[in-house]
Amino acid sequence: MKSFKNKNYYLFIPAVLFLTLPLYGFMNAIFHSLQTGEDWTFDYYAQLLQSDRFITSLWFSIRTALIATVISLIIGLSITRHFHGYLEKNAPRLLVWLPMLFPHFVWGYMVILLLSETGLAAQISVLTGVLPDTEAFPILTRDPNGIGIIITYVWKEIPLVILMLFPIYASIDPDYYDLVDTLGGNGWRRFSAVELPHLLPVLIETFLIVFSFTLSAYEVPALLGTTFPEMISVLGYEWFYGSSWDDRPLAFAAMVSVSIMLLISAGIGYLYLNKNRWKAMRGGR
Amino acid sequence: MRILSMMVFFTLLLLSACGEPTANKTDWTNKNWKEIESNAEDTTVRMFMWGGDEGINQYIDEWIVPRLKKSYDITLERIPMDTPEILQKLQTEKQAGKQDGTIDIIWINGENFKNAKENELLLGSFTGVLPNYNEYYQTEDPAFLTDFGTPVEGMEAPWGKVQFVFHCDTAKIEKPPRSFAELKSWIHENPGKFTYPRAKDFSGNAFLRHVLYAQAEQPSDIFNRPLQEEKISNTADRTWEYLNDIEPDLWRSGDHYPDNLTELDRLYSQGEVWMTMGYNESRAEALIEEGVFPRTTRSFVMEPGSIGNTHFLSIPFNSSNQPGALTAINFMLSPEAQLAKYKPDYWGENTPISMDKIPEEIQKEFHAVERGESVLPTKKLEESFLPESEASYVEWMKEQWFNEVVQK
Repeated sequence: MKSFKNKNYYLFIPAVLFLTLPLYGFMNAIFHSLQTGEDWTFDYYAQLLQSDRFITSLWFSIRTALIATVISLIIGLSITRHFHGYLEKNAPRLLVWLPMLFPHFVWGYMVILLLSETGLAAQISVLTGVLPDTEAFPILTRDPNGIGIIITYVWKEIPLVILMLFPIYASIDPDYYDLVDTLGGNGWRRFSAVELPHLLPVLIETFLIVFSFTLSAYEVPALLGTTFPEMISVLGYEWFYGSSWDDRPLAFAAMVSVSIMLLISAGIGYLYLNKNRWKAMRGGR
Repeated sequence: MRILSMMVFFTLLLLSACGEPTANKTDWTNKNWKEIESNAEDTTVRMFMWGGDEGINQYIDEWIVPRLKKSYDITLERIPMDTPEILQKLQTEKQAGKQDGTIDIIWINGENFKNAKENELLLGSFTGVLPNYNEYYQTEDPAFLTDFGTPVEGMEAPWGKVQFVFHCDTAKIEKPPRSFAELKSWIHENPGKFTYPRAKDFSGNAFLRHVLYAQAEQPSDIFNRPLQEEKISNTADRTWEYLNDIEPDLWRSGDHYPDNLTELDRLYSQGEVWMTMGYNESRAEALIEEGVFPRTTRSFVMEPGSIGNTHFLSIPFNSSNQPGALTAINFMLSPEAQLAKYKPDYWGENTPISMDKIPEEIQKEFHAVERGESVLPTKKLEESFLPESEASYVEWMKEQWFNEVVQK
């Protein structure tokens, strides 16, 4: 029995090896954000809280990431819900997942080419007479509201949402629907009573993945964001690579704060799911 | 327990890789030049440099590389990377105690040089050993002794000289503004047709320093003095006033500033804005040639003048091929290499070389070069030349601009 237990531990080795490097980096970042010379200090975190630029940027990042995530989830969910029958065939499924093949960076460029003031969409609207000239085209990229960033992420993450939700829909037993119908339930009850309980864990998981990814991504905001307000990672990059290296601890402190925030929200999500799982095991909901 | 011991083991492994072994390398910076050259033979030199300009890249790849191979049997590899990232790489290598680094030559100046020097990322004084530098250059020239106010101390060799100019399309603007005051009224008369890159960008920052120079009693109040915020507060206030005054009439009402010069150039080439700018008096030539800029593009400078600076080549502290790096830098400083760089075919950039020290035939060739119609005459450029301020102004400008102009 004992040797069996030990063997179980060996299974962790790849994970530990894999995690060592990022963990080492994270620890290093924490050290750098807490040190001035030889001394320990919380100074940099205090500076962050007093910095308008940081607070604005944090709020802007959370807002942008939240909007992008919620829209992706809603659209992804409704596509999967309505079309999961079609998606079982290979061709439509590949078509939906096509955007996943492109790196975010490339997708960001495509959005610029399509939606900037002199982009394809603007030129087509002028050619077809919808708009008098390209100047009348709304500012959708490099805008202070983060519209360009949101469009890029929504476009890019919907396929991921479908990828995550599709197996759930494929595995729902149709008998459940019949049960709802027999008991006189409508379309909403079908969704809330049958699908949602199956979907919820995956929805929360997908939300966390897309949200943390969007919140901390760099290349799309750098490409499509404006001068002010800026996304948190763009600010972090600027502090890190700015011409004087005095701001580096600030960059570390900013990114550590974001990481801790994301870890906490992941923790809450996990606990919530676990609680539900316990309840489900005891037979109640 | 086993997991824990495993983790401890790997952490130790990682940490032990970060220890600093003692350096034990030959110092080539005061060897005999013949010996350096013979040691450079049949080696590879890796040159890390900003790769954002096709003309510059072609000059290295098509002119320098084959000649270095032929004359010295040196293989030069050009690796494009932004300079702050090169320094970051060096810093990481230093922290990891890596004495045989991957970088042999860096192209550097200004704040990057200051950072590199302060963090001891450079080899040290080496220009004394370069024959071409000592023979053909005015080694006592203040432009080579300090770099944005930082003493050079032989740690970098002057490679080129550039001056900041503005560009406009003469088909749209008949008379470009002659001073910053005229620029201001021009912007108000032509709303949406002017913008400048943000302060983080090299060119944008230089534009802002021009405004600062223009708002001072005289430009030398800025470039002759180290940065003392209280002393320049009046000048600074006038600068922010100027910038906030033009902001509503900038492209997109100043809500968004181009991230970099490339973005501004794109706006200019699409006709969205009517002026662009840049830290190289002849850079429009190549862009006109490629059809990016309209044929009618000309350059101009405004009162009180245009800032110019020298850029340099340097060697990192841990270059694994010092003889090769020295030989290659010496070659790039040679009159022939400088002449090829001066010609508009590839780069068209001004040379720091001393005209009265080089052989007469090459002098003649230099004078015979047609720099192109978009380039201002040398006399005009020399008359309007203003030296760079101390490097700390660049950083100060970056922060203050964000606080005083963008966030307001």
